[in-house]
Amino acid sequence: MHYESPVRQPLILGDKSYNQITEDVVRPIENPAPRSWWMVFSIALVMFLWGVGCLAYTVGTGIGVWGLNKTVGWAWDITNFVWWVGIGHAGTLISAVLLLFRQRWRMAINRSAEAMTIFSVIQAGLFPVFHMGRVWMAYWVLPIPNQFGSLWVNFNSPLLWDVFAISTYLSVSVVFWYVGLIPDFAMVRDRAVNPVQKHIYKILSFGWGGKAKAWQRFEEVSLVLAGLATPLVLSVHTIVSMDFATSVIPGWHTTIFPPYFVAGAIFSGFAMVQSLLLIVRKVFKMEDYITVQHIEMMNIVIMVTGSIVGVAYITELFIAWYSGVEYEQYAFLNRATGPYWWAYWSMMTCNVFSPQFMWFKKLRTNLVFTFVISIVVNIGMWFERFVIIVTSLHRDYLPSSWSMFSPSFVDVGIFVGTIGFFFVLFLLYARTFPVIAQAELKTILKTSGEAQKKHHSDHGAHH
Amino acid sequence: MASNKVYWKSFDQLANTEVSQRLAENEFAQDIPADVFLADERSMEAQASRRDFLKFLGFSTAAATLAACEQPIIESVPYVVKPDSLTPGVPSFYATAYTDGQDYASVLVKTREGRPIKIEPGDAGRFNRGTNARAQASVLSLYDSARLRGPVLNGKESDWSTVEASLKKAADAALAQGTQFVLLTSSVFSPALQASIERLRQAYANFQHVELDAVSQSNNLDVWESLTGVRALPYVDLTAANLVVSFGSDFLGSGMAQQLSSDYATRRKPGNGMLRHVELESNLSLTGSNADKRVKIKPSEVSGALAYLVNELGGSASKIALRDDLTKALKTVAGELKAANGKAVVLVGGDDANQAKLSAALNALVGAFGATLRTDKPVYIRRGNDARVANLIGDLKAKRVGALLVAGTNPVYFRPDFAEAIKAATFSWALTDRMDETAQLCTAAAPEPHYLEAWGDFRPVAGEYTVAQPTIKNLFDSKALLEVLGALSGDSRSAKDQVAASATAMGLNWNQTLHDGGAAVASGSVAGASAGVAAALASSAKVAKPAQGMELAFYENAVGAGYQANNPWLHELPDPVTRLTWDNYLTMAAADALALGFENETNSDGSLDGSYANVKVGKRVLENVPVFIQPGQTAGTVGLAYGYGRTAAGKVADAMGVNAYSLGVTTGSASVEISKAEDMHEFATVQLGHTMMGRRIVNEVSLADFIADPSGASWNEKPTFHTIDGMMNSEEANLWADHDHETMHMWNMSIDLNSCTGCGACVVACHIENNVPVVGKQEIRNLRDMHWLRIDRYYSSDMSKERAEDENIGGIEMYAKMEEPSESPSVVFQPVMCQHCNHAPCETVCPVGATVHSREGLNHMAYNRCIGTRYCANNCPYKVRRFNWFNYMANEQFADVNPAQDDYGRMVLNPDVTVRSRGVMEKCTMCIQRVQYAKLEAKKAGQPVADGAFTTACAEACDSGAITFGDVNNAKSAVRAAKSDARAYHLLEEVGTQPSVFYMTKVRNA
Amino acid sequence: MAHTTEPTPVVRALYHDDDVLISAVKEIRAAGYKITEVYTPFPVHGLDKAMGLKETRIAMAAFMYGLLGLTVAVTLTWYMMISDWPQNIGGKPNYNWGMNMPAFVPILFELTVFFAAHLMVWTYLVINGLYPGADAQNPDPRTTDDYFMVELPAADGLMDVLKKSGAVEIAEA
Repeated sequence: MHYESPVRQPLILGDKSYNQITEDVVRPIENPAPRSWWMVFSIALVMFLWGVGCLAYTVGTGIGVWGLNKTVGWAWDITNFVWWVGIGHAGTLISAVLLLFRQRWRMAINRSAEAMTIFSVIQAGLFPVFHMGRVWMAYWVLPIPNQFGSLWVNFNSPLLWDVFAISTYLSVSVVFWYVGLIPDFAMVRDRAVNPVQKHIYKILSFGWGGKAKAWQRFEEVSLVLAGLATPLVLSVHTIVSMDFATSVIPGWHTTIFPPYFVAGAIFSGFAMVQSLLLIVRKVFKMEDYITVQHIEMMNIVIMVTGSIVGVAYITELFIAWYSGVEYEQYAFLNRATGPYWWAYWSMMTCNVFSPQFMWFKKLRTNLVFTFVISIVVNIGMWFERFVIIVTSLHRDYLPSSWSMFSPSFVDVGIFVGTIGFFFVLFLLYARTFPVIAQAELKTILKTSGEAQKKHHSDHGAHH
Repeated sequence: MASNKVYWKSFDQLANTEVSQRLAENEFAQDIPADVFLADERSMEAQASRRDFLKFLGFSTAAATLAACEQPIIESVPYVVKPDSLTPGVPSFYATAYTDGQDYASVLVKTREGRPIKIEPGDAGRFNRGTNARAQASVLSLYDSARLRGPVLNGKESDWSTVEASLKKAADAALAQGTQFVLLTSSVFSPALQASIERLRQAYANFQHVELDAVSQSNNLDVWESLTGVRALPYVDLTAANLVVSFGSDFLGSGMAQQLSSDYATRRKPGNGMLRHVELESNLSLTGSNADKRVKIKPSEVSGALAYLVNELGGSASKIALRDDLTKALKTVAGELKAANGKAVVLVGGDDANQAKLSAALNALVGAFGATLRTDKPVYIRRGNDARVANLIGDLKAKRVGALLVAGTNPVYFRPDFAEAIKAATFSWALTDRMDETAQLCTAAAPEPHYLEAWGDFRPVAGEYTVAQPTIKNLFDSKALLEVLGALSGDSRSAKDQVAASATAMGLNWNQTLHDGGAAVASGSVAGASAGVAAALASSAKVAKPAQGMELAFYENAVGAGYQANNPWLHELPDPVTRLTWDNYLTMAAADALALGFENETNSDGSLDGSYANVKVGKRVLENVPVFIQPGQTAGTVGLAYGYGRTAAGKVADAMGVNAYSLGVTTGSASVEISKAEDMHEFATVQLGHTMMGRRIVNEVSLADFIADPSGASWNEKPTFHTIDGMMNSEEANLWADHDHETMHMWNMSIDLNSCTGCGACVVACHIENNVPVVGKQEIRNLRDMHWLRIDRYYSSDMSKERAEDENIGGIEMYAKMEEPSESPSVVFQPVMCQHCNHAPCETVCPVGATVHSREGLNHMAYNRCIGTRYCANNCPYKVRRFNWFNYMANEQFADVNPAQDDYGRMVLNPDVTVRSRGVMEKCTMCIQRVQYAKLEAKKAGQPVADGAFTTACAEACDSGAITFGDVNNAKSAVRAAKSDARAYHLLEEVGTQPSVFYMTKVRNA
Repeated sequence: MAHTTEPTPVVRALYHDDDVLISAVKEIRAAGYKITEVYTPFPVHGLDKAMGLKETRIAMAAFMYGLLGLTVAVTLTWYMMISDWPQNIGGKPNYNWGMNMPAFVPILFELTVFFAAHLMVWTYLVINGLYPGADAQNPDPRTTDDYFMVELPAADGLMDVLKKSGAVEIAEA
């Protein structure tokens, strides 16, 4: 039996029993949704439907309804794609990497973090599909024989790598998530009184019974999946960054992109998890599980990754200057001082400067401040992608082709729509799924529960 | 698909005798039209089995059937017996002459299945055999659905017999009442027509013939008439010149009586004795952009400047004071003119009587007569006489005209006073291609055939006679002027017979002449002008003091005088200098704009807006003219293009731009008052970056340096790279073992930046050849033009890396300054199309392999496979890929502009080129259809593709021969030679894309 | 209470604490009784050792699946890019798979992970008899909340052992 020093902060507050945990976790599922939930949900639903409308308009009329032009062929579409994928990363990271590192504090948050991963990767996936001029031909990116004879996909194309990376990432995240959910569904099933509910959770729980051998395999599978998901999560954003890194466009053609994108992804991902959890913990009264310590931990991660991103920005500038390449030098000068200087400096402020506040314990343990920063960071990371994509494209090699970009209402509508879609999914999840991996959490109750720790320190550890 | 089994057909073949070899060489014992169904390369390469043959046959039949459903609503009768000359899928060419009332050119018409689809340059050696943008685009004017379909009388539909009767009646009445019967036309230089006009003169004592040139040359013609006795301009022979000094004459750009660009190009080949070109002008014209030396001058200073030169060269003209800097410039010009001794020519734009006299005198003094200025070889294309037009207007108002027949011109649009005059006419009758401004005010209007539907003959210049023949049956119920006049004078011969007669009268073999499209004829006895008399003119010329206020100089862009204003191709073609489309506007110097409070501003989406101005000349006011700030514009002057502001030309042209003619200026320039008007105008520009930002994009060298270092080492330095094996150039520095490009063909293109004048004929030709959609003003404003071939225009900037170094200016400020063009910029043009990179960035990134490389060095684009990710376009360093943002074929936003959405306009589409669907990427294919056709022809002939056997549409359209296309694996090819030239370089070579297109360094004779 | 009917009667002892459970399991086995199954609401560490369960070999299976994925990826890229229709794409060398391989690395990796993860989870579900709609395997619903159940065939003297081991409830079926 693992022993934890009393010096460590307890991860579960209050005097909790196993049953107590169960009760807390199922409360949102068994009780009717509060009015606040319905309000937020209906807002999200409206946004989502608006986005659907804009997508329909695009598919019906043509990509021309966006703000793009002959020089800027990608703008909000791919910006949003990279942004959502980035956000997705934190989930896998929290559940996989922290599991490998035996970080117990992850247990309270990994379920929601993974849910966020899956929902945001779904949003991300929408953009590469709908940015196609002929979306009805989208299935041509799959390596399948077709009516035109043996026309195959082009495995040299980073866009095709994306297809494989994103689909692998999404599907693996889903199974990883679900494997963890099965025992918790079983718990809900066994408590359910309403026959309909019981039946649904019976289906969802796959008949789980918590046999010793099953638990043994469960832990092994979780471990292996974590082992697979960790390089996967790193590879996904690496590959996304290769869309740009392998091109010839100044400002895209940059070897630093893979690590820089991954850091950025973790950065934005944690910020998003932060925003969501601060809401969840308040709305569902889970302060005892998602403690200030959790928040602080994540703030530290945000601060560190934010600084890494900052270093990447500076490195880019330096290399551009140092390379002595005419086009590179101009590309980066133009970013900071050209027509899109405002985007560049919003990015710098939000991503590099704002996280530095987290050096102060007072601030990183202040929930309101944390919430604000987490939003700011996500805005900043959106701008990072916008800066990389648009300001590199709009002025590349031949000045004769230089242009500008400004979004049409459809661009905006689709983006808003994905945000709506994301929250629709997340809110449904929050009311129907065990938002905390209670089975896992119970394993650490004795070692990291507040009361239990107190008990230990009073009577000393005797086993 | 193809069977690899080899069957021997005979013992001969088995024994492989020489006979059977010959048989084997050409696939078919006697030639059968295999090209009908073997329309693509792969099937030709495969040994098609019998079953394949049937497949193709079946397919082509089915395809033909389907295609038939798409036919426009004109009656079409299938051939019962196929004419020998016509094989479906194989084009036939007809030699004819193009004229639209302004331009004249000797051309070849390409027809497919009986439809004219492309205009190509006429036989070498013909006068005006080049095709400018208007000539290229003219084929679409044939299919303009805005054309008049049938005769109209008093606003009601009628028929020919009635309207012709009405005309005859009016003419006879006029004769009876002793009022005039006037025929108003644009310049007539057709012997047949002149003859029939003469017959009319005999028939009607009260007959008058008045000729009107939209953009007048009347005063110039008066001067030359007084000198030579012939109402014609002298032939300018640039090939004999070493120096051309032009005063605001846009002889490369606007609708000249004579195509000078080809002669200009031949004399601009770099080396000793390269033609030097000095331009003194107020607007920055296409010609001025090409000049070696450009001097800003106000129109009102020109006569003074000419007088100064006259005096400098020993003539006598009244002296007036000029700006010091101008005098200084003129002094050197005078020096150069003297030095050129006879090998120089002075050209003057506009139509000012005094300037005409002075320039004639100056040319006489220079010794141009008989050498560079062939006064003994008149060019008859301009014959208009403004004095007579003025009289006509007077007579009309005074009811002295009983019958007015307006044919092939639009006086109400060209001359502001004409509207009320024609209203006053008792009877007016218009032979017109559409219900234009004039026709609407006429008693009767009848459709005139398009030049591609009509018979005609021309005498453009002394010594040359050309014939125009119809290449398609009249689309509408139209009748040629020849026949209309014939009917009046009781001559019942058809137009064809009349033309044939006039050809025979010249002692020519009709069939031969028709086949060749013309022939050389006796130039007639034209005495050249006497230099002495001409020189004397100078003293009689009034030399005005330079005016104080603003001055307006008119010019022509691709739309020209406006005869073809309803042709969308001409509007979609960006102005070579301003790079604006679908507009005319006031070009203004930045200083003046600042002083008068005019602004140009770029919006967040890159679209350009400009303030409006009211322009006042005398009593006439032109309201809400957008102002465009133009570098190189002479301070105190503004420019305005003719040909816009139509009210009854058709849905394309109407209400677009302003009508410059309405200011009633015929001399080409005038003093104006400019006042600011409310509101901003929405421009549609295709280029936002105007300078090269210190990058090596257009490589340029002075003639001196070029001659000093023929190797090019000092002025055409290739980028090199540090590699583990030492320094390497972009060809050697290669990550990969390259694919084989030595065997078979390797198509390359050379673009000579020295010959290219930037006129844009190639752009229109490409547009036509490849069925490029017309997207209209709003989409171009959104920076979504679809041109496969564009001509970039760069201005020089006052800021340079060197200067920044010297004055230690920081990078940020330097680049900011570099973006601003100089106030007197030197200009370069650079045609850019797909560079067909052999290491193509676009190919690697396509997820579905829709764009891949051919073994012949071409970058293929499979539209059917494209899913439209636009990744290829993003990754293209040259930004030459174009995306189908909408369904241009059906989206009603483009119904008015895109010919492909019009039942008639659709007939102009090239059947050899796919029309791209929405959501796919497209780009230059190097006219793959032409490449394949040439290869098939060669295969049938059993020979290799000969160099020059074919070329791309752009290369063909370029009458200055700037573009050379061919096979670099063919040791004897022209392009191979060009590639090894010291001037050759690749665009953005340092990116390592290894393009198949290369450029020839521009050499400036300065 | 869900009672399953079996030929030989089984005894089900419920415990309320995982530490007690572990020690109980040890005692029962020490007393020579064979435990058929233990149901717990969460993975109790050390339980498998206490019960003497063998190590699971599912990780090894995952590794095999990964190799399979890699093989599939290599075959896929080779067939489509090199063998079936080799094309000149941006001048990249595709004369053999090796020369073009660097461009395939991401694909190789992703397919490896894809196969390993998915096939392993399928295996996991199958060997645990888990599938949508399956009946709950645990006889007592409380064992997914906070109770721990030891299940073993009835035998003499077993009761005392169980009672002694701290069982809070013992049922015989």
